[in-house]
Amino acid sequence: MRDNAKGGALTEVTFYILLALHRPRHGYAVMQFVEERTAGRLILGAGTLYGALNALQEKGWIAPVGADAGRKKEFAVTPLGREMAARELARLKELANTAEEILKEARNGEAIPLLLDAAGDPGPVAG
Amino acid sequence: MEKRYRYFWTLLGIQARWLDKMSDRGLRLVRTEKLLYEFEPCAPGEYRYCVEFVAHLSRDKAEDYGRFLEDCGYRVWFKNANLDWNVGKVEVRPWAEPGGRLASNATTYNRELLIVEKKNDGKPFQLHSSNEDKARYYRAQRRPALFLFVIMAPLAVVLRSWPAGIFAVLALAMLLRCQLALAKLKRQGSLTE
Repeated sequence: MRDNAKGGALTEVTFYILLALHRPRHGYAVMQFVEERTAGRLILGAGTLYGALNALQEKGWIAPVGADAGRKKEFAVTPLGREMAARELARLKELANTAEEILKEARNGEAIPLLLDAAGDPGPVAG
Repeated sequence: MEKRYRYFWTLLGIQARWLDKMSDRGLRLVRTEKLLYEFEPCAPGEYRYCVEFVAHLSRDKAEDYGRFLEDCGYRVWFKNANLDWNVGKVEVRPWAEPGGRLASNATTYNRELLIVEKKNDGKPFQLHSSNEDKARYYRAQRRPALFLFVIMAPLAVVLRSWPAGIFAVLALAMLLRCQLALAKLKRQGSLTE
């Protein structure tokens, strides 16, 4: 999983798994959580989820919970995993705010983009 | 119970499609051995199958993966890709992960594949959904194919051996399949998500 932990950017799969594991869940429940919360846009294959859970365990962001008595292994997010999820949320909020500001300025004609078509001629100008 | 005898080597997709076809005919897999597949009646198309390459994993990892898939509600069977009846065989697999590089009958030798069955819910049955994970999986299959080709191709030429030549061609086909799949993923441009 290529999460950019230093810069705070997580993959969508990682972020959803961390969110799902804010409550202890086993693999199948994580798959269901992601599918339901994204209305079927993001469907996790069991093989992909297995690799992701192992990678997150190695990073210390999630950990198995409960005794091994039951067959189904459950996982939950660790304090470090919670912190990573919170950082990602802050990053996404910042991104959303920036995008909103710029799009609003563009709508109000404060920023006039210069659009060039394939021939290099200016296209229609917004505002 | 119906029995069929087939051998698919590492042609994973072909084996899965054959099992899907058997399910469409109302036959569900219940047991498998080297060449044997045993089926019981089911509703036509009730189950779907995936065949997964796990020869690069250590025994513990392969078994843990199998248990995880069972926890996800699937049925799994370990399956041989080799056709070797030797007892006490040890195979060196430099292309495997640490822990799987010496495969024996007690570990993953003759247990190179996992057949995975799920109830058909109308959605495509894919174990690998992200491009990055798919790429990792294709690379895991490409390594043994490259190894086999590098060993068998010179043997075929130097010894003028037909069996070695056949293995070299099969390995090359597997190598090309993985390479094309990886190139396609790269073209999609989302290996890093």
